[in-house]
Amino acid sequence: MKNRLRVLRAEREWSQQDLAERLGVSRQSVNAIETGKYDPSLPLAFRIADLFGLAIEAIFLRD
Amino acid sequence: MAQRHPAYRRYRRRAIASAASIVASVGLATWQIPDHSPPSAGPVALALLSGAGVLIWIWASARYLIEIDDEYMRMLQVRAILVATGLTLGVTSTWGMVELITTAPRLPVFFVFPIWCLGMLLGSLVNKLTLGDSGRGC
Repeated sequence: MKNRLRVLRAEREWSQQDLAERLGVSRQSVNAIETGKYDPSLPLAFRIADLFGLAIEAIFLRD
Repeated sequence: MAQRHPAYRRYRRRAIASAASIVASVGLATWQIPDHSPPSAGPVALALLSGAGVLIWIWASARYLIEIDDEYMRMLQVRAILVATGLTLGVTSTWGMVELITTAPRLPVFFVFPIWCLGMLLGSLVNKLTLGDSGRGC
C-alpha cells in the first residue's frame, strides 16, 4: 500500500525518530511503513492520521 | 527504540537466566557424570534443570510478544519464530526418517533446542534480507 508518510513528515521537518517517538513505535517501524515494506494495523493507521490531523485515506493510498 | 524497549530488557534478563540454567546443567553433567551412566536421580535432576531453562526461554519469548507494543517488531519476532520452528521440524523430521530406515547415527534429542536457536538466528537473517530489519534475534 502506498502512503504519503515521508512527505507529511518532511513538511513538518521531523526525522523518522521524531515521528517514531510521537507515535510510540520504533524508528524501524516508521521506516518500514514509509518504504511500503509493512502496512500498519488499523489502530496504528488511526494514530498516524490523528497525529497529522488527516483522514486515513489522505495518507494511505490504494495501489 | 526496540533495543532499549523495557520489554526487550525484561526479555534479555529472562533469557540470560534461562541460558545460565542450561549452561550450568550441561557443564555440571559434563564435569560430574560419566558417559553412559544409568538414569539415576542426579542425571535426571540435571536434565530437569536444563529442561526448565528451555521452558523459561520459551516463556520469555511469549512474554516478549505480549509485552512489546510495537507491532512491526512483534511481526519480525513472529517471522523469526516461524523460521526457527520450520527449520527445527524440517531437520528433525528429515533426520528422523533417515534414522528410521537406515543405520545412520542417532541425533540426540538434546539438540532440538540448539537447532531451534540456530533457526532464530536464521529467521533474523531472513528478516534482515527481506525487510531490512533483523528484529531481536534468539
